[in-house]
Amino acid sequence: MKKIYPKQKEFIFLLIKGAIIILGTLAVLVPFIYLFLNSIKPEFEFLSVPPKLFPSRIMTKYYSSLLASGSETLKFLFNSLLVTGATTILAVFGGALAAYSLSHLRVSPKTISIIIFSILLVRFYPKITTVIPYFILMKKFHLLDTLISIIIAHVSITVPFVVLLMMSFFREIPPSIEESAKLDGCNVWQVFCKIVLPLSSPGLATSAVLTAIISWNEFLIASSLASVNAKTLPIAVSSFITDKGILWGPMSAMTTLIVIPIVLFTLLLQKYLVRGLTLGAVK
Amino acid sequence: MKLSKFKQSENILFILFLLPAFFFIVIAQFYPLLYSFYISFTKWSLIKWKPIALVGLSNYQRVLQDSLFKHAFKISLIFACITTPVELVIGFLLAYMITGERKIYKITRTILVIPMTIAPVAVGTIWRMLLNTRAGLINYLLQKIGINGPNWLATPSTAFFSILIVDIWEWTPFAMIIFVAALSSIPVDLFSAAQIDGASRWQILRYITLPLIAPITVLIVLFRFIDSILVIDIIYTTTYGGPGFSTNVITFHIYKQALKYFNITYAAAASWILQIFCLLVAIVLLMCSGKLQEKI
Repeated sequence: MKKIYPKQKEFIFLLIKGAIIILGTLAVLVPFIYLFLNSIKPEFEFLSVPPKLFPSRIMTKYYSSLLASGSETLKFLFNSLLVTGATTILAVFGGALAAYSLSHLRVSPKTISIIIFSILLVRFYPKITTVIPYFILMKKFHLLDTLISIIIAHVSITVPFVVLLMMSFFREIPPSIEESAKLDGCNVWQVFCKIVLPLSSPGLATSAVLTAIISWNEFLIASSLASVNAKTLPIAVSSFITDKGILWGPMSAMTTLIVIPIVLFTLLLQKYLVRGLTLGAVK
Repeated sequence: MKLSKFKQSENILFILFLLPAFFFIVIAQFYPLLYSFYISFTKWSLIKWKPIALVGLSNYQRVLQDSLFKHAFKISLIFACITTPVELVIGFLLAYMITGERKIYKITRTILVIPMTIAPVAVGTIWRMLLNTRAGLINYLLQKIGINGPNWLATPSTAFFSILIVDIWEWTPFAMIIFVAALSSIPVDLFSAAQIDGASRWQILRYITLPLIAPITVLIVLFRFIDSILVIDIIYTTTYGGPGFSTNVITFHIYKQALKYFNITYAAAASWILQIFCLLVAIVLLMCSGKLQEKI
Protein backbone atom coordinates (compact mmCIF):
# COMPACT_ATOMS: atom_id res chain seq x y z
CA MET A 1 0.00 0.00 0.00
CA LYS A 2 2.75 2.38 0.93
CA LYS A 3 4.95 1.68 -2.07
CA ILE A 4 2.72 3.81 -4.28
CA TYR A 5 4.15 6.97 -2.73
CA PRO A 6 7.71 8.10 -3.52
CA LYS A 7 10.23 6.93 -0.94
CA GLN A 8 11.45 10.34 0.14
CA LYS A 9 7.99 11.71 0.81
CA GLU A 10 7.13 8.58 2.73
CA PHE A 11 10.19 9.04 4.90
CA ILE A 12 9.30 12.62 5.78
CA PHE A 13 5.75 11.57 6.59
CA LEU A 14 7.03 8.84 8.91
CA LEU A 15 9.32 11.34 10.58
CA ILE A 16 6.46 13.74 11.27
CA LYS A 17 4.33 10.88 12.46
CA GLY A 18 7.00 9.69 14.88
CA ALA A 19 7.55 13.19 16.20
CA ILE A 20 3.84 13.71 16.83
CA ILE A 21 3.48 10.36 18.57
CA ILE A 22 6.49 11.01 20.81
CA LEU A 23 5.39 14.57 21.63
CA GLY A 24 1.86 13.44 22.44
CA THR A 25 3.04 10.63 24.68
CA LEU A 26 5.47 12.90 26.54
CA ALA A 27 2.80 15.57 27.03
CA VAL A 28 0.63 12.95 28.72
CA LEU A 29 3.24 11.08 30.73
CA VAL A 30 5.51 13.86 32.03
CA PRO A 31 2.84 15.44 34.30
CA PHE A 32 2.21 12.05 35.90
CA ILE A 33 5.90 11.36 36.46
CA TYR A 34 6.24 14.85 37.93
CA LEU A 35 3.27 14.22 40.22
CA PHE A 36 4.71 10.94 41.44
CA LEU A 37 8.17 12.43 42.02
CA ASN A 38 6.57 15.21 44.06
CA SER A 39 4.83 12.69 46.26
CA ILE A 40 8.12 11.09 47.34
CA LYS A 41 10.25 14.23 47.59
CA PRO A 42 11.46 15.78 50.89
CA GLU A 43 9.77 19.12 51.64
CA PHE A 44 12.74 21.45 51.33
CA GLU A 45 13.47 20.24 47.80
CA PHE A 46 10.29 21.83 46.46
CA LEU A 47 11.45 25.22 47.62
CA SER A 48 15.12 25.08 46.81
CA VAL A 49 16.33 27.43 44.06
CA PRO A 50 16.40 26.15 41.37
CA PRO A 51 13.79 23.52 42.32
CA LYS A 52 14.98 19.92 42.34
CA LEU A 53 13.07 17.75 39.87
CA PHE A 54 14.33 14.43 41.11
CA PRO A 55 14.26 13.70 44.82
CA SER A 56 17.67 13.19 46.42
CA ARG A 57 16.16 10.44 48.54
CA ILE A 58 12.89 8.62 48.31
CA MET A 59 10.52 9.02 51.19
CA THR A 60 7.09 7.56 51.76
CA LYS A 61 6.26 9.89 54.64
CA TYR A 62 3.28 11.52 52.94
CA TYR A 63 1.70 8.22 52.07
CA SER A 64 2.22 6.73 55.49
CA SER A 65 0.75 9.77 57.24
CA LEU A 66 -2.18 9.93 54.80
CA LEU A 67 -2.91 6.26 55.26
CA ALA A 68 -2.14 5.98 58.98
CA SER A 69 -4.88 4.08 60.76
CA GLY A 70 -7.71 6.35 61.88
CA SER A 71 -6.63 9.16 59.54
CA GLU A 72 -9.17 11.30 57.68
CA THR A 73 -7.84 10.31 54.29
CA LEU A 74 -8.33 6.65 55.08
CA LYS A 75 -11.96 7.40 55.88
CA PHE A 76 -12.38 9.33 52.61
CA LEU A 77 -10.70 6.52 50.70
CA PHE A 78 -13.14 4.10 52.26
CA ASN A 79 -16.04 6.45 51.37
CA SER A 80 -14.84 6.61 47.78
CA LEU A 81 -14.56 2.83 47.54
CA LEU A 82 -18.02 2.37 49.05
CA VAL A 83 -19.68 4.96 46.80
CA THR A 84 -17.96 3.63 43.69
CA GLY A 85 -18.73 0.01 44.54
CA ALA A 86 -22.39 0.57 45.37
CA THR A 87 -22.91 2.87 42.40
CA THR A 88 -21.35 0.36 40.01
CA ILE A 89 -23.44 -2.56 41.24
CA LEU A 90 -26.72 -0.63 41.31
CA ALA A 91 -26.19 1.17 38.01
CA VAL A 92 -25.02 -1.87 36.07
CA PHE A 93 -27.77 -4.12 37.38
CA GLY A 94 -30.55 -1.53 37.12
CA GLY A 95 -29.30 -0.37 33.75
CA ALA A 96 -29.02 -3.88 32.31
CA LEU A 97 -32.55 -4.72 33.46
CA ALA A 98 -33.94 -1.52 31.96
CA ALA A 99 -32.04 -2.04 28.71
CA TYR A 100 -33.34 -5.61 28.42
CA SER A 101 -36.84 -4.36 29.06
CA LEU A 102 -36.55 -1.56 26.48
CA SER A 103 -35.36 -3.97 23.82
CA HIS A 104 -38.28 -6.38 24.45
CA LEU A 105 -41.14 -4.16 25.58
CA ARG A 106 -44.14 -4.35 23.29
CA VAL A 107 -45.08 -0.71 22.95
CA SER A 108 -44.91 1.64 20.01
CA PRO A 109 -41.40 2.42 18.76
CA LYS A 110 -42.21 6.06 19.36
CA THR A 111 -42.60 5.51 23.10
CA ILE A 112 -39.27 3.71 23.18
CA SER A 113 -37.51 6.51 21.34
CA ILE A 114 -39.01 9.06 23.72
CA ILE A 115 -37.68 7.05 26.65
CA ILE A 116 -34.27 6.76 25.03
CA PHE A 117 -34.25 10.47 24.22
CA SER A 118 -35.02 11.42 27.80
CA ILE A 119 -32.24 9.10 28.94
CA LEU A 120 -29.84 10.84 26.55
CA LEU A 121 -30.96 14.21 27.82
CA VAL A 122 -29.36 13.45 31.17
CA ARG A 123 -26.00 13.52 29.37
CA PHE A 124 -26.39 17.03 28.01
CA TYR A 125 -27.98 19.32 30.51
CA PRO A 126 -25.99 21.31 33.05
CA LYS A 127 -25.70 19.18 36.19
CA ILE A 128 -25.67 22.35 38.25
CA THR A 129 -29.42 22.67 37.56
CA THR A 130 -30.17 19.50 39.49
CA VAL A 131 -27.49 19.96 42.13
CA ILE A 132 -29.36 22.76 43.92
CA PRO A 133 -32.82 21.12 44.19
CA TYR A 134 -31.27 17.74 44.94
CA PHE A 135 -29.39 19.40 47.78
CA ILE A 136 -32.70 20.85 49.04
CA LEU A 137 -34.42 17.49 48.72
CA MET A 138 -31.69 15.68 50.64
CA LYS A 139 -31.75 18.34 53.32
CA LYS A 140 -35.48 17.70 53.76
CA PHE A 141 -34.85 13.97 54.14
CA HIS A 142 -31.96 14.68 56.52
CA LEU A 143 -29.65 12.85 54.13
CA LEU A 144 -27.09 15.62 53.63
CA ASP A 145 -23.53 14.50 54.22
CA THR A 146 -24.43 10.82 53.85
CA LEU A 147 -23.04 8.31 51.39
CA ILE A 148 -26.57 7.21 50.42
CA SER A 149 -27.39 10.62 48.96
CA ILE A 150 -24.20 10.55 46.88
CA ILE A 151 -24.79 6.98 45.73
CA ILE A 152 -28.35 7.73 44.56
CA ALA A 153 -27.12 10.75 42.60
CA HIS A 154 -24.22 8.83 41.08
CA VAL A 155 -26.48 5.98 39.99
CA SER A 156 -28.83 8.49 38.41
CA ILE A 157 -26.08 10.00 36.25
CA THR A 158 -24.50 6.67 35.27
CA VAL A 159 -27.54 4.49 34.72
CA PRO A 160 -28.41 6.22 31.40
CA PHE A 161 -24.99 5.30 30.03
CA VAL A 162 -25.44 1.71 31.09
CA VAL A 163 -28.88 1.51 29.46
CA LEU A 164 -27.58 2.80 26.14
CA LEU A 165 -24.47 0.61 26.24
CA MET A 166 -26.32 -2.56 27.20
CA MET A 167 -28.97 -2.01 24.54
CA SER A 168 -26.24 -1.98 21.92
CA PHE A 169 -24.83 -5.22 23.35
CA PHE A 170 -28.22 -6.95 23.65
CA ARG A 171 -28.88 -6.19 20.00
CA GLU A 172 -25.98 -8.49 19.13
CA ILE A 173 -27.58 -11.53 20.79
CA PRO A 174 -29.49 -13.60 18.21
CA PRO A 175 -33.20 -13.78 19.20
CA SER A 176 -33.25 -17.50 18.38
CA ILE A 177 -31.17 -18.27 21.48
CA GLU A 178 -33.70 -16.62 23.76
CA GLU A 179 -36.62 -18.25 21.90
CA SER A 180 -35.21 -21.73 22.33
CA ALA A 181 -34.55 -21.11 26.02
CA LYS A 182 -38.20 -20.10 26.41
CA LEU A 183 -39.33 -23.24 24.60
CA ASP A 184 -37.25 -25.21 27.10
CA GLY A 185 -39.41 -23.70 29.83
CA CYS A 186 -37.34 -20.78 31.10
CA ASN A 187 -39.32 -17.75 32.21
CA VAL A 188 -38.29 -14.19 31.33
CA TRP A 189 -36.29 -13.75 34.50
CA GLN A 190 -34.39 -17.00 33.98
CA VAL A 191 -33.70 -16.16 30.34
CA PHE A 192 -32.31 -12.81 31.46
CA CYS A 193 -30.10 -14.17 34.24
CA LYS A 194 -28.95 -17.43 32.74
CA ILE A 195 -28.76 -16.68 29.01
CA VAL A 196 -28.69 -12.98 28.26
CA LEU A 197 -26.40 -11.69 31.01
CA PRO A 198 -23.63 -14.28 30.53
CA LEU A 199 -23.72 -13.72 26.76
CA SER A 200 -23.28 -9.99 27.18
CA SER A 201 -20.56 -10.09 29.82
CA PRO A 202 -18.25 -7.82 27.77
CA GLY A 203 -21.07 -5.26 27.86
CA LEU A 204 -21.40 -5.64 31.61
CA ALA A 205 -17.65 -5.19 31.99
CA THR A 206 -17.67 -2.09 29.80
CA SER A 207 -20.58 -0.62 31.76
CA ALA A 208 -18.95 -1.44 35.08
CA VAL A 209 -15.63 0.15 34.12
CA LEU A 210 -17.31 3.28 32.81
CA THR A 211 -19.61 3.62 35.83
CA ALA A 212 -16.79 3.05 38.30
CA ILE A 213 -14.62 5.71 36.64
CA ILE A 214 -17.41 8.29 36.54
CA SER A 215 -18.37 7.68 40.16
CA TRP A 216 -14.78 7.58 41.47
CA ASN A 217 -13.99 10.90 39.75
CA GLU A 218 -17.25 12.76 40.30
CA PHE A 219 -16.86 16.12 42.03
CA LEU A 220 -19.75 18.55 41.54
CA ILE A 221 -22.56 16.52 43.15
CA ALA A 222 -20.46 14.97 45.89
CA SER A 223 -18.99 18.31 46.87
CA SER A 224 -22.43 19.87 47.19
CA LEU A 225 -23.67 17.07 49.44
CA ALA A 226 -20.67 16.12 51.55
CA SER A 227 -19.49 18.61 54.13
CA VAL A 228 -17.70 16.54 56.78
CA ASN A 229 -18.26 12.83 57.03
CA ALA A 230 -19.30 11.73 53.56
CA LYS A 231 -16.40 13.35 51.68
CA THR A 232 -14.96 11.31 48.85
CA LEU A 233 -11.33 11.57 47.71
CA PRO A 234 -11.92 14.21 44.99
CA ILE A 235 -13.60 16.45 47.57
CA ALA A 236 -10.79 15.86 50.03
CA VAL A 237 -8.12 16.80 47.49
CA SER A 238 -9.99 19.93 46.46
CA SER A 239 -9.80 21.17 50.05
CA PHE A 240 -6.03 21.58 49.63
CA ILE A 241 -6.84 24.46 47.32
CA THR A 242 -8.48 26.95 49.62
CA ASP A 243 -5.27 27.23 51.63
CA LYS A 244 -3.04 30.08 50.61
CA GLY A 245 0.03 28.00 49.99
CA ILE A 246 0.28 24.58 48.47
CA LEU A 247 0.96 21.61 50.71
CA TRP A 248 3.01 19.98 47.99
CA GLY A 249 3.74 16.64 49.58
CA PRO A 250 0.33 15.62 50.95
CA MET A 251 -1.46 17.08 47.92
CA SER A 252 0.62 15.11 45.43
CA ALA A 253 0.38 11.94 47.50
CA MET A 254 -3.40 12.18 47.67
CA THR A 255 -3.70 13.03 43.98
CA THR A 256 -1.55 9.99 43.21
CA LEU A 257 -3.94 7.89 45.31
CA ILE A 258 -6.91 9.12 43.25
CA VAL A 259 -5.15 8.71 39.95
CA ILE A 260 -3.48 5.31 40.31
CA PRO A 261 -6.55 3.02 40.28
CA ILE A 262 -7.92 4.79 37.22
CA VAL A 263 -4.62 4.70 35.34
CA LEU A 264 -4.39 0.95 36.05
CA PHE A 265 -8.00 0.52 34.93
CA THR A 266 -7.24 2.39 31.73
CA LEU A 267 -4.11 0.41 30.95
CA LEU A 268 -5.52 -3.02 31.80
CA LEU A 269 -9.10 -2.68 30.62
CA GLN A 270 -8.54 -0.56 27.52
CA LYS A 271 -10.44 -3.12 25.46
CA TYR A 272 -13.64 -2.50 27.43
CA LEU A 273 -13.10 1.16 27.98
CA VAL A 274 -13.05 2.47 24.44
CA ARG A 275 -16.57 1.42 23.57
CA GLY A 276 -17.74 3.03 26.79
CA LEU A 277 -15.89 6.29 26.28
CA THR A 278 -17.04 6.76 22.72
CA LEU A 279 -20.61 6.04 23.71
CA GLY A 280 -23.20 8.28 22.22
CA ALA A 281 -20.89 9.65 19.58
CA VAL A 282 -20.12 6.48 17.65
CA LYS A 283 -22.69 3.78 17.20
CA MET B 1 -56.00 -15.94 23.54
CA LYS B 2 -53.83 -17.84 25.94
CA LEU B 3 -50.74 -16.65 24.12
CA SER B 4 -51.73 -13.00 24.24
CA LYS B 5 -52.41 -13.24 27.95
CA PHE B 6 -48.96 -14.73 28.39
CA LYS B 7 -47.47 -11.87 26.37
CA GLN B 8 -49.37 -9.32 28.40
CA SER B 9 -48.05 -10.64 31.68
CA GLU B 10 -44.62 -10.65 30.12
CA ASN B 11 -45.05 -7.00 29.19
CA ILE B 12 -45.96 -6.12 32.76
CA LEU B 13 -42.81 -7.86 33.90
CA PHE B 14 -40.79 -5.82 31.43
CA ILE B 15 -42.31 -2.64 32.79
CA LEU B 16 -41.27 -3.76 36.27
CA PHE B 17 -37.74 -4.23 34.91
CA LEU B 18 -37.67 -0.51 34.10
CA LEU B 19 -38.51 0.59 37.61
CA PRO B 20 -35.15 0.35 39.42
CA ALA B 21 -33.40 2.52 36.84
CA PHE B 22 -36.27 4.97 36.72
CA PHE B 23 -36.40 5.25 40.48
CA PHE B 24 -32.89 6.72 40.52
CA ILE B 25 -33.34 8.92 37.47
CA VAL B 26 -36.62 10.36 38.77
CA ILE B 27 -35.35 11.05 42.31
CA ALA B 28 -32.03 12.58 41.37
CA GLN B 29 -32.63 13.99 37.88
CA PHE B 30 -36.21 14.57 36.75
CA TYR B 31 -37.70 15.69 40.04
CA PRO B 32 -34.82 18.09 40.81
CA LEU B 33 -35.02 19.42 37.27
CA LEU B 34 -38.71 20.27 37.56
CA TYR B 35 -38.33 21.54 41.11
CA SER B 36 -35.54 23.91 40.11
CA PHE B 37 -37.78 25.19 37.31
CA TYR B 38 -40.49 25.82 39.87
CA ILE B 39 -38.32 27.60 42.42
CA SER B 40 -36.82 29.81 39.72
CA PHE B 41 -40.18 31.64 39.81
CA THR B 42 -40.38 31.94 43.58
CA LYS B 43 -38.97 33.82 46.51
CA TRP B 44 -37.03 31.52 48.80
CA SER B 45 -37.00 31.77 52.57
CA LEU B 46 -33.73 30.62 54.07
CA ILE B 47 -35.32 30.38 57.50
CA LYS B 48 -38.26 28.19 56.52
CA TRP B 49 -36.08 26.58 53.85
CA LYS B 50 -38.84 26.62 51.26
CA PRO B 51 -40.36 28.95 48.67
CA ILE B 52 -42.70 31.51 50.21
CA ALA B 53 -44.11 33.45 47.24
CA LEU B 54 -44.42 33.33 43.49
CA VAL B 55 -42.57 36.23 41.95
CA GLY B 56 -42.95 35.64 38.21
CA LEU B 57 -39.90 36.38 36.13
CA SER B 58 -38.15 38.63 38.59
CA ASN B 59 -35.39 36.10 39.33
CA TYR B 60 -34.66 35.84 35.63
CA GLN B 61 -34.63 39.61 35.42
CA ARG B 62 -32.21 39.77 38.31
CA VAL B 63 -29.90 37.23 36.66
CA LEU B 64 -29.96 38.88 33.25
CA GLN B 65 -29.19 42.28 34.74
CA ASP B 66 -26.36 40.95 36.86
CA SER B 67 -23.04 42.01 35.37
CA LEU B 68 -21.27 39.10 37.10
CA PHE B 69 -23.56 36.61 35.36
CA LYS B 70 -22.98 38.24 31.98
CA HIS B 71 -19.27 38.28 32.62
CA ALA B 72 -19.23 34.60 33.64
CA PHE B 73 -21.27 33.64 30.60
CA LYS B 74 -18.92 35.56 28.33
CA ILE B 75 -15.86 33.91 29.88
CA SER B 76 -17.41 30.46 29.38
CA LEU B 77 -18.29 31.22 25.77
CA ILE B 78 -14.77 32.42 24.97
CA PHE B 79 -13.39 29.40 26.81
CA ALA B 80 -15.52 26.93 24.84
CA CYS B 81 -14.92 28.71 21.52
CA ILE B 82 -11.16 28.31 21.94
CA THR B 83 -10.87 24.87 23.52
CA THR B 84 -13.32 23.12 21.19
CA PRO B 85 -11.56 23.82 17.86
CA VAL B 86 -8.08 23.32 19.34
CA GLU B 87 -9.06 19.96 20.83
CA LEU B 88 -10.68 19.02 17.55
CA VAL B 89 -7.61 19.81 15.45
CA ILE B 90 -5.03 18.23 17.75
CA GLY B 91 -7.33 15.27 18.38
CA PHE B 92 -7.72 14.67 14.67
CA LEU B 93 -4.01 15.05 14.01
CA LEU B 94 -3.20 12.45 16.69
CA ALA B 95 -5.97 10.13 15.53
CA TYR B 96 -4.81 10.37 11.93
CA MET B 97 -1.33 9.31 13.01
CA ILE B 98 -2.26 6.41 15.27
CA THR B 99 -5.26 4.77 13.65
CA GLY B 100 -4.50 1.19 12.77
CA GLU B 101 -3.88 -2.26 14.13
CA ARG B 102 -0.13 -1.98 14.76
CA LYS B 103 0.97 -2.63 18.32
CA ILE B 104 2.73 0.72 18.64
CA TYR B 105 -0.47 2.53 17.70
CA LYS B 106 -2.50 0.58 20.21
CA ILE B 107 -0.07 1.29 23.03
CA THR B 108 0.08 4.98 22.15
CA ARG B 109 -3.71 5.19 22.09
CA THR B 110 -3.93 3.58 25.53
CA ILE B 111 -1.49 6.10 26.98
CA LEU B 112 -3.03 9.11 25.27
CA VAL B 113 -6.48 8.29 26.66
CA ILE B 114 -5.36 8.57 30.30
CA PRO B 115 -5.92 12.34 30.85
CA MET B 116 -9.66 12.03 30.19
CA THR B 117 -10.17 9.04 32.46
CA ILE B 118 -8.57 10.41 35.63
CA ALA B 119 -10.47 12.70 37.99
CA PRO B 120 -10.76 16.28 36.66
CA VAL B 121 -10.02 17.43 40.19
CA ALA B 122 -6.71 15.57 40.00
CA VAL B 123 -6.00 17.14 36.62
CA GLY B 124 -6.45 20.48 38.34
CA THR B 125 -4.05 19.75 41.20
CA ILE B 126 -1.42 18.28 38.86
CA TRP B 127 -1.50 21.41 36.71
CA ARG B 128 -1.51 23.65 39.74
CA MET B 129 1.85 22.14 40.59
CA LEU B 130 3.15 22.20 37.02
CA LEU B 131 2.22 25.88 36.70
CA ASN B 132 3.53 26.98 40.08
CA THR B 133 5.55 30.13 39.54
CA ARG B 134 8.57 29.28 41.64
CA ALA B 135 8.77 25.52 41.85
CA GLY B 136 6.65 24.35 38.91
CA LEU B 137 8.01 22.22 36.08
CA ILE B 138 6.85 24.58 33.32
CA ASN B 139 8.73 27.58 34.63
CA TYR B 140 11.71 25.34 35.41
CA LEU B 141 11.86 24.27 31.76
CA LEU B 142 11.32 27.84 30.55
CA GLN B 143 14.19 28.95 32.76
CA LYS B 144 16.42 26.33 31.09
CA ILE B 145 15.90 28.00 27.72
CA GLY B 146 16.38 31.44 29.20
CA ILE B 147 12.80 32.61 29.61
CA ASN B 148 11.50 33.98 32.88
CA GLY B 149 8.18 32.19 33.28
CA PRO B 150 5.13 34.29 34.19
CA ASN B 151 2.98 34.07 37.29
CA TRP B 152 0.70 31.61 35.53
CA LEU B 153 -2.26 31.34 37.87
CA ALA B 154 -1.85 34.69 39.58
CA THR B 155 -2.40 37.20 36.77
CA PRO B 156 -5.76 37.39 34.94
CA SER B 157 -4.61 36.88 31.34
CA THR B 158 -2.20 34.03 32.04
CA ALA B 159 -4.70 32.40 34.41
CA PHE B 160 -7.26 32.24 31.61
CA PHE B 161 -4.62 30.93 29.24
CA SER B 162 -3.69 28.30 31.84
CA ILE B 163 -7.20 26.91 32.19
CA LEU B 164 -7.38 26.67 28.40
CA ILE B 165 -4.20 24.57 28.41
CA VAL B 166 -5.50 22.36 31.22
CA ASP B 167 -8.82 21.72 29.46
CA ILE B 168 -7.07 20.99 26.16
CA TRP B 169 -4.69 18.57 27.87
CA GLU B 170 -7.56 16.79 29.56
CA TRP B 171 -10.05 16.55 26.70
CA THR B 172 -8.11 16.32 23.44
CA PRO B 173 -8.03 12.52 24.01
CA PHE B 174 -11.83 12.49 23.78
CA ALA B 175 -11.77 13.98 20.30
CA MET B 176 -8.91 11.65 19.46
CA ILE B 177 -10.53 8.33 20.35
CA ILE B 178 -13.75 9.23 18.60
CA PHE B 179 -11.81 10.20 15.49
CA VAL B 180 -9.89 6.91 15.75
CA ALA B 181 -13.19 5.02 15.87
CA ALA B 182 -14.53 7.03 12.93
CA LEU B 183 -11.38 6.62 10.86
CA SER B 184 -11.21 2.87 11.44
CA SER B 185 -14.79 2.50 10.25
CA ILE B 186 -13.96 3.85 6.78
CA PRO B 187 -13.59 0.89 4.39
CA VAL B 188 -9.96 0.36 3.36
CA ASP B 189 -10.98 -0.35 -0.26
CA LEU B 190 -11.89 3.29 -0.61
CA PHE B 191 -8.32 4.35 0.13
CA SER B 192 -6.64 1.75 -2.03
CA ALA B 193 -8.94 2.55 -4.95
CA ALA B 194 -8.04 6.23 -4.64
CA GLN B 195 -4.34 5.40 -4.42
CA ILE B 196 -4.47 3.30 -7.54
CA ASP B 197 -6.10 6.23 -9.28
CA GLY B 198 -3.04 8.25 -8.29
CA ALA B 199 -4.52 10.38 -5.54
CA SER B 200 -2.00 11.92 -3.16
CA ARG B 201 -2.21 11.51 0.59
CA TRP B 202 -3.47 15.07 0.87
CA GLN B 203 -6.14 14.53 -1.80
CA ILE B 204 -7.38 11.39 -0.08
CA LEU B 205 -7.60 13.25 3.21
CA ARG B 206 -9.34 16.23 1.63
CA TYR B 207 -11.81 14.48 -0.66
CA ILE B 208 -12.48 11.13 1.03
CA THR B 209 -11.61 11.10 4.73
CA LEU B 210 -12.78 14.54 5.85
CA PRO B 211 -16.22 14.44 4.17
CA LEU B 212 -16.83 10.95 5.57
CA ILE B 213 -16.07 11.95 9.15
CA ALA B 214 -17.87 15.32 8.98
CA PRO B 215 -21.06 14.17 10.78
CA ILE B 216 -19.04 12.66 13.65
CA THR B 217 -16.96 15.81 13.83
CA VAL B 218 -20.10 17.83 14.47
CA LEU B 219 -21.00 15.43 17.28
CA ILE B 220 -17.57 15.90 18.86
CA VAL B 221 -18.11 19.66 18.63
CA LEU B 222 -21.43 19.17 20.40
CA PHE B 223 -19.93 17.12 23.24
CA ARG B 224 -16.88 19.30 23.70
CA PHE B 225 -18.63 22.66 23.35
CA ILE B 226 -21.31 21.86 25.91
CA ASP B 227 -18.87 20.20 28.32
CA SER B 228 -16.54 23.20 28.03
CA ILE B 229 -19.39 25.58 28.78
CA LEU B 230 -20.15 23.48 31.86
CA VAL B 231 -16.57 23.10 33.11
CA ILE B 232 -16.10 23.44 36.88
CA ASP B 233 -13.77 20.85 38.45
CA ILE B 234 -10.52 22.12 36.97
CA ILE B 235 -11.48 25.72 37.72
CA TYR B 236 -12.18 24.82 41.32
CA THR B 237 -8.79 23.18 41.76
CA THR B 238 -6.57 25.53 39.75
CA THR B 239 -7.75 29.13 40.01
CA TYR B 240 -10.95 29.02 42.09
CA GLY B 241 -12.40 31.52 39.63
CA GLY B 242 -9.67 34.06 40.17
CA PRO B 243 -7.62 36.13 40.15
CA GLY B 244 -10.45 38.63 40.43
CA PHE B 245 -13.17 37.16 38.26
CA SER B 246 -10.91 36.33 35.33
CA THR B 247 -11.70 32.59 35.32
CA ASN B 248 -15.11 32.78 36.97
CA VAL B 249 -16.85 30.46 34.48
CA ILE B 250 -20.62 30.15 34.44
CA THR B 251 -21.06 26.82 36.26
CA PHE B 252 -18.64 27.90 38.96
CA HIS B 253 -20.49 31.21 39.28
CA ILE B 254 -23.84 29.44 39.77
CA TYR B 255 -22.23 26.90 42.10
CA LYS B 256 -20.94 29.67 44.36
CA GLN B 257 -24.22 31.57 44.27
CA ALA B 258 -26.13 28.44 45.29
CA LEU B 259 -23.90 26.71 47.78
CA LYS B 260 -21.76 29.49 49.19
CA TYR B 261 -24.16 32.45 49.33
CA PHE B 262 -27.39 30.38 49.29
CA ASN B 263 -28.85 32.55 46.54
CA ILE B 264 -31.10 29.60 45.72
CA THR B 265 -33.63 31.19 43.38
CA TYR B 266 -31.00 33.24 41.57
CA ALA B 267 -29.01 30.06 40.97
CA ALA B 268 -32.10 28.18 39.79
CA ALA B 269 -33.01 30.89 37.30
CA ALA B 270 -29.40 31.20 36.11
CA SER B 271 -29.09 27.45 35.64
CA TRP B 272 -32.29 27.38 33.60
CA ILE B 273 -30.99 30.10 31.31
CA LEU B 274 -27.88 27.96 30.88
CA GLN B 275 -30.08 24.92 30.37
CA ILE B 276 -32.03 26.52 27.55
CA PHE B 277 -28.84 27.75 25.94
CA CYS B 278 -27.31 24.24 25.99
CA LEU B 279 -30.49 22.73 24.64
CA LEU B 280 -30.52 25.17 21.70
CA VAL B 281 -26.86 24.45 20.93
CA ALA B 282 -27.55 20.70 21.08
CA ILE B 283 -30.57 20.93 18.76
CA VAL B 284 -28.73 23.04 16.18
CA LEU B 285 -25.66 20.81 16.16
CA LEU B 286 -27.67 17.58 16.05
CA MET B 287 -29.55 18.92 13.05
CA CYS B 288 -26.24 19.84 11.38
CA SER B 289 -24.92 16.35 11.99
CA GLY B 290 -28.10 14.84 10.54
CA LYS B 291 -27.85 17.01 7.41
CA LEU B 292 -24.22 16.01 6.85
CA GLN B 293 -25.11 12.35 7.38
CA GLU B 294 -27.75 12.58 4.64
CA LYS B 295 -25.22 13.96 2.19
CA ILE B 296 -23.01 10.88 2.43
